[in-house]
Amino acid sequence: MENPFQDPLRFGRRLPPCAIVILGATGDLSRRKLVPALYRLFVDRQLPSGFAILGTARLATNDDGFRETMREALARFSEDTPPDDSMWRAFAQGMFYLSGDMHDPEFYTRMAARLEEIATVRQTAGNVLFYLSTSPEHYETAAQGIGAAGMNHGSGWRRIVVEKPFGRDLASARRLSASLQEIFPEAAIYRIDHYLGKETVQNILAFRFGNGTFEPLWNRRYVEHVQITAAESIGVEGRGAYYDQYGALRDMIQNHLLQVMATVAMEPSSTFRAEAVRDERAKLLRSIRILQPEEVPDNSVAGQYGPARIGGEDVPGYRQERGVDAQSCTETYAALTLFAENWRWAGVPFYLRTGKRMPRQVTEIAIQYRSAPLAIFNGEETSPNLLVLRIQPEPGISLKFLSKRPGTGMMLRPVSMDFNYGSSFGERSPAAYETLLLDALEGDATLYSRQDMVEASWAVVEPVRQGWDAAALTFPNYSAGSWGPAAADAMLARRGHAWRRP
Amino acid sequence: MSTTSPDRILRELARVWTTLAEEGGVRGEGVLRSCTMTLLVLADETDDPSPIWETLAALMPQHPSRAILVRFRAGGTGDTQARVFAQCWLPTGRGRRICCEQIEITASDAGLPDLPALVLPLAAPDLPVLLWCRSPRIFQAPELRLLAEGARKIIVDTAALGSAPGSLQALLERRNELPVADLAWTRLTRWRALVSQAFDDPGNRERLSAASEVRVSYTGDAPPPEAFYMAAWLLDGVRRAGGDAHHTFEAAAGVPPGVRSVALRGDGLDVAVGLSTRGCADVRAGDAAQRTAIARLPEHALLAEEVRIPGRDPVFDRILPSAARLGVSSAS
Repeated sequence: MENPFQDPLRFGRRLPPCAIVILGATGDLSRRKLVPALYRLFVDRQLPSGFAILGTARLATNDDGFRETMREALARFSEDTPPDDSMWRAFAQGMFYLSGDMHDPEFYTRMAARLEEIATVRQTAGNVLFYLSTSPEHYETAAQGIGAAGMNHGSGWRRIVVEKPFGRDLASARRLSASLQEIFPEAAIYRIDHYLGKETVQNILAFRFGNGTFEPLWNRRYVEHVQITAAESIGVEGRGAYYDQYGALRDMIQNHLLQVMATVAMEPSSTFRAEAVRDERAKLLRSIRILQPEEVPDNSVAGQYGPARIGGEDVPGYRQERGVDAQSCTETYAALTLFAENWRWAGVPFYLRTGKRMPRQVTEIAIQYRSAPLAIFNGEETSPNLLVLRIQPEPGISLKFLSKRPGTGMMLRPVSMDFNYGSSFGERSPAAYETLLLDALEGDATLYSRQDMVEASWAVVEPVRQGWDAAALTFPNYSAGSWGPAAADAMLARRGHAWRRP
Repeated sequence: MSTTSPDRILRELARVWTTLAEEGGVRGEGVLRSCTMTLLVLADETDDPSPIWETLAALMPQHPSRAILVRFRAGGTGDTQARVFAQCWLPTGRGRRICCEQIEITASDAGLPDLPALVLPLAAPDLPVLLWCRSPRIFQAPELRLLAEGARKIIVDTAALGSAPGSLQALLERRNELPVADLAWTRLTRWRALVSQAFDDPGNRERLSAASEVRVSYTGDAPPPEAFYMAAWLLDGVRRAGGDAHHTFEAAAGVPPGVRSVALRGDGLDVAVGLSTRGCADVRAGDAAQRTAIARLPEHALLAEEVRIPGRDPVFDRILPSAARLGVSSAS
């Protein structure tokens, strides 16, 4: 019998009762993102009443100590939902803690026992979401521990969320996946890419497939090229040791930017169901032409920032950052020229770039259209139409086109028609982690990566990585506060294009 | 200013935009017009317009609209007057100001038959129209149907329209003409969601057919519309599960008027939701107890929920007749 009190029109998403086990619960991700997101979902009344969080880590503390630590973290890191006394008390009632060593099998036995207790006290119906908020090198150990203690199955559903990086290369990604799949079926493995949880990345799908106007212009016939930019103004900010192992190509392009490219370029799916959407994304990723070794130098650029003086302050170069090898050859900037080999996009370059210590923080997609075939106005400015999908910091969409300048004569000038996501809808947009956590609890994997997508992405970046590893790169090759190495400009100039200055 | 033809009002509006654009131009910011619907608000002249505009201002960022407030003078005659202005806000503290159009019309009841010809052409083209009727007098007027022509639905708050049984009955009659929504029902969404969550549990669902008692306690002098809606909805749920329960209303101390607690009891079944500390409710289902958030929503948030639902709400449509019947039987 169905619940006769259901009212889907009003109640919104109905989540099943469940427990979330956060492994590595005292770490940065948990404090900065996960607990603030869960608290916000609680305040917004989106969590079920049968809900619990079991935090686990090495730190020796108890339930109350964990609650206090998380309350402090919330006060510090929540962007718009600081803890309210009575609300926090109600939320914290569902928080528990278990300390232990992830490499100790007995730790998982205790975890299983604690989960059973919690399931009874909090009525979580045996549903459990494991969230690996640990260093990537612990993923396999944690998954195996969960499996050995029998927590990968039970009276309710069991799912596991894994944070990027999903391996260091194609081979290690496959190994990791095989290891996880020994314990959990693929359908229960949620590979999180928080870019896909951003409202405006989702809005790309709404923009493309909810409107009839733009999709007919979304192909090689009208589009000259596409630029995808993810620039950060900050450096490695204390993540030097991690970053030095991965670099911009692995940290950003292999996952976030290729996922964004897939969202921009994919074919419409037949439905908005998880597998249908992910099939189309995967298809696009597989259609990206793999660069041959001899093509790598002309179609990719690696960079590393050097010291500079910005706004009267000395900014260190990458090699001077804490935790970074003083002779490091890790790239902090990466730019690629890619082509999707399908009927829609054949011959249209997709330029992807990401970098640290750029002049400003910006993530956007710029679709540059072909110019009008004939210039019939005297003194016309040459300015092709440009559609910009801004992801952050001010999400929105702009369309640049030419308009007649007021006055006599027929002089044209470019104007911009703007849609500002935050202002056209004054409603608060949920943070990416709120969206993605809700999806995982609901069993909706639409915005999560699938193993074939991960492998296709690695297949794209691996030849580039190998080319760079074999080349003698001279670093640093751009100053902090600039838009990257000159070679990146040259890469576009070869096709008669230029990077947009966001 | 007296601008009593649609053309004159629309010209005034255009002038407001020109002025705003000039002001924005001086500051180098510009201004953005935002509109997703027309919201027509009908109120008595005695209804202080300031809180109404405040409510609309709070609604605008979520649902930018052309708002038309018509204030009715009871009895007598007199000119129909109109003024136009814009409601602006600065999103995220920078960039361009976002502005929505606002029109305030003052008319006498005697001018009511002529109003549709003035008001309807003012609706923003190609966008939905919603009508929010705050005036008990106008709600009963036959001309309301003309003003609501083309509207997606009429929103009222039966808790503010007079006695609960009479208001529910009047709303039921209006429902035959147009889709209707009631903010008194909207106030119950969170309560209902909490009750419903308890029945996500298969055990509780199985025991629901054994429910014998529905108890609703309320604050206020008499059961407010919310109490009738809640009881009707709970009884409906029990019936749909194959059971049959009786209902009890219970007065409780406290303000403001509304639902204080609800309970469903029967053989092996004990589900209750009750207000506890500020902003929280205690939910009990058998031995399990939880405390959770249940804020009392401001009027603009209630309106926002109704605006999000286009057209008829099938659950509300099913419950309204039963709630009206409970109201009538409690009054007799």
